[in-house]
Amino acid sequence: MLIRFFLFFSMIFSNLTISESLYKFDNAEDEKRFYSLIKEIRCPKCTSGSLASSNAPVSEDIKSKIIELIKEGKSNQEIKEFLSDRFGNQVLYNPGLNKDTYFLWFAPGLFLIMILLIFFFRKKT
Amino acid sequence: MTIIIRFIIVSTTLAFFSFFYFYINEDKYYPGADFTISEMPNFKLKDLYSERLFKIEDLEGTFLINVWASWCITCRVEHNFLTKLDSKNIPIIGLNYKDEEKDAISWINRFGDPYKFIIHDYKGELALDLGVTGAPETFLLNDGKIIAHYRGEVNDMIWEDVFKPIIKKENLFNVN
Repeated sequence: MLIRFFLFFSMIFSNLTISESLYKFDNAEDEKRFYSLIKEIRCPKCTSGSLASSNAPVSEDIKSKIIELIKEGKSNQEIKEFLSDRFGNQVLYNPGLNKDTYFLWFAPGLFLIMILLIFFFRKKT
Repeated sequence: MTIIIRFIIVSTTLAFFSFFYFYINEDKYYPGADFTISEMPNFKLKDLYSERLFKIEDLEGTFLINVWASWCITCRVEHNFLTKLDSKNIPIIGLNYKDEEKDAISWINRFGDPYKFIIHDYKGELALDLGVTGAPETFLLNDGKIIAHYRGEVNDMIWEDVFKPIIKKENLFNVN
């Protein structure tokens, strides 16, 4: 009887422990920042998945580090720099302008200019 | 005018193809290798065997830092090569990553100890600061600066292609 009673109560109350939020924040603003940041940062262990989509041990570590940095009052930019210094630029989904990405940023423009040149200066037959 | 345009078209096409040709054919390109020079981060961590604390000052000189754990299967594969490096008098410092102390010690007792000393990073704090994504990973440290970082197992091929060139360039360990 006692065992049944115990099982019944553990069933009733178990969902209370599950429903509690996984991460703790000081205010709602921080929480919003955290959830938008983890969507913009790639998990360094995954081929292409954001931190938000990943449960890899290293992603969990990075997520708790991000919370720590948010609590220290670091800006989004500082947090991103902190991570790209350690894990390389590939952790950021938005590729910044640097020597590896010149081709990526300027090639389409160059192609467009080239095509326009051809278009305007072609011989009319 | 047409000549200029023709020239532009031909040269851009050539540039485009050669870019990808050289990019794809780049020899000895390893995605796990990173040669960005960076400062060794600060840390304060316990020795695996004792209560002794290691700090950044204990890492003077030139050596490899190998990130390993007893739960890591590739580390077991890599271990034989590290033992070989140790027998060639290349100093290796172990960074035990997210591991239970007793598991790590019994692993070392079973397979041998190629490390000068082992830093116990239970929570992976230093590892996170170093940009470690898993185990095994190996760093080459010279005078407080990380000059090479390899993500993955170090074996004869990786040693020859990734570490040897930079070791020779910087004239470290008297390796030839």
